[in-house]
Amino acid sequence: MKLSKEEVAHLAKLSRLDLPEQKLEQMTKDFGSILEYVDSIQKVDVEGVEPFTMPSKSQGWREDVAFEADEATRELILTNFPERAGDLLAAPGVFEVPKK
Amino acid sequence: MKPLNELTIVEARELLDKGEVTSRQLTEACLQQIKSLDGALHAYLEVYEEDALAAANRADDRRAEGSVLGPLDGIPVAIKDNMLLQGKSSTAGSKILQGYTATYDSTVVKKLVDAGSVILGRVNMDEFAMGSSTERSAYGPTKHPRDPERVPGGSSGGSAVAVAADMCLGALGSDTGGSIRQPASLCGIVGLKPTYGRVSRYGLIAMASSLDQIGPMTKCVEDSAIMLEAIQGQDKNDQTSSDEAYFKPFWKKSLQGVKIGLPKQAWTSQGVEDRVKEKTEAAVAALKSAGADLVEIDLPYADEALAVYYILMPCEVSANLSRFDGMRYGLRKQGLPLFETYAQSRAEGFGDEVMRRVLLGAFALSSGYIDAYYVRAKKVQTLIRQAYEHAFQNVDLIVTPTSPTTAFKFGEKMNDPIAMYLEDVFTVSVNVAGVPAISIPCEDDGGMPVGIQLIGKWFDEATLLSAARVLEAQLKTDN
Repeated sequence: MKLSKEEVAHLAKLSRLDLPEQKLEQMTKDFGSILEYVDSIQKVDVEGVEPFTMPSKSQGWREDVAFEADEATRELILTNFPERAGDLLAAPGVFEVPKK
Repeated sequence: MKPLNELTIVEARELLDKGEVTSRQLTEACLQQIKSLDGALHAYLEVYEEDALAAANRADDRRAEGSVLGPLDGIPVAIKDNMLLQGKSSTAGSKILQGYTATYDSTVVKKLVDAGSVILGRVNMDEFAMGSSTERSAYGPTKHPRDPERVPGGSSGGSAVAVAADMCLGALGSDTGGSIRQPASLCGIVGLKPTYGRVSRYGLIAMASSLDQIGPMTKCVEDSAIMLEAIQGQDKNDQTSSDEAYFKPFWKKSLQGVKIGLPKQAWTSQGVEDRVKEKTEAAVAALKSAGADLVEIDLPYADEALAVYYILMPCEVSANLSRFDGMRYGLRKQGLPLFETYAQSRAEGFGDEVMRRVLLGAFALSSGYIDAYYVRAKKVQTLIRQAYEHAFQNVDLIVTPTSPTTAFKFGEKMNDPIAMYLEDVFTVSVNVAGVPAISIPCEDDGGMPVGIQLIGKWFDEATLLSAARVLEAQLKTDN
């Protein structure tokens, strides 16, 4: 399996990675040898074999439950925001082009 | 008496119990060693001097009151930079998390703190634990304590060097495909990857969640047992942590009656250095003189395991690392439209190896390829697991070299991803199968260290560690 530079550029777009031309070329080249290596699994006979899933010793699914954060924790979360508007997280608008 | 920072945890604990040393003295000795050596070695990314001394004082106060918390009370340790400690920085060796402050405690660090351990600081690692040399840290490489031109292995290279150069008494590492065992091997220390599910991953910055496991890196096998006892257990915050009975050390004096399998592929495969062959063969002979019953076994899919790993791991990486988007924490490029904010923040914050794996994962999961890569790899994973189940019907343990090479020079494998990936050829199948394994040093002749890997049955760390301890003692007699 080989990928073209255009295919790698498409993966970079899906992965939200802004890669310059030179890096795209390098990645495309690396992909060649890596895919050649991992393609050894294509030779394994997997007829009738089920994909592996987590063993039953673990706890399985649970409800997603919110918990109260104390004031100090809350403050730490807020100070990690790259940009704040008061206690709110400021983010670029989804439909806007920002003024520089 | 040895300098205090050179003590094992077992030795330090004995002296603490006898009242011959204090936690303050142990901690000061480690801090002094960090000051003398770490400028050259760069194992630590941050040292918590003041907090460490305060924790040591509290441990000494508890001892004076007769309320010692346990075997780790007052013991100075280091934690890998991907384990959260509330209020402290944690970057996973990445620029994208520069300046990030942990908002909660990881379960492992909380357990160490609750057991009275003194946290000396956070130590270096390959970015997001992706690498086998610690050259991929965004904060500069860590150097091998015996030769500054060589790598310490990775990704837990900072932990390995902090232990090997006596800048702490023990450390935690994390292991997704060999990241505890390979640097332990290259630095001449003990490194244990527990069974998947033995130790909670809550608060560990995830690389590949179905393979990641936290474990101890120490100066002797018994120390690893002490640390594992402290950090193990089911956790309500990690659904994959297991309800299996807790590990309790059970030390035997010999290997009489223990059947050990030697996979023929391990010593015949290409790329195993002569020194590794020679020293691990001597260790196998030591297993025999300690009474073990050695049998040659066939472990199929030895080669395919690495291929399976390099499909499954990037898939999980591409999903896990999508959270680093410049929005809620970490690096954000400002003044750009939304798409560019994501794409430029990530391209600037991530190193090349991280981006390579994100892209590889996006490919293996993409429509049209997912069946040929991800799903197929999950099926081969089932076969690999079955191969281990089959092997363990006849043997108690399996032994291999830990790494095919000794510590290599900086830059040697940086431009050849496959050469770097092959460092993990003996360690990855253990993660793919989920079994526990330990690397212990084979020799102490002053040359580049060589480790031997013992692999155990699921949740049978007791047999694994007991055998490792017997081998450790036997090798000391032989050398």
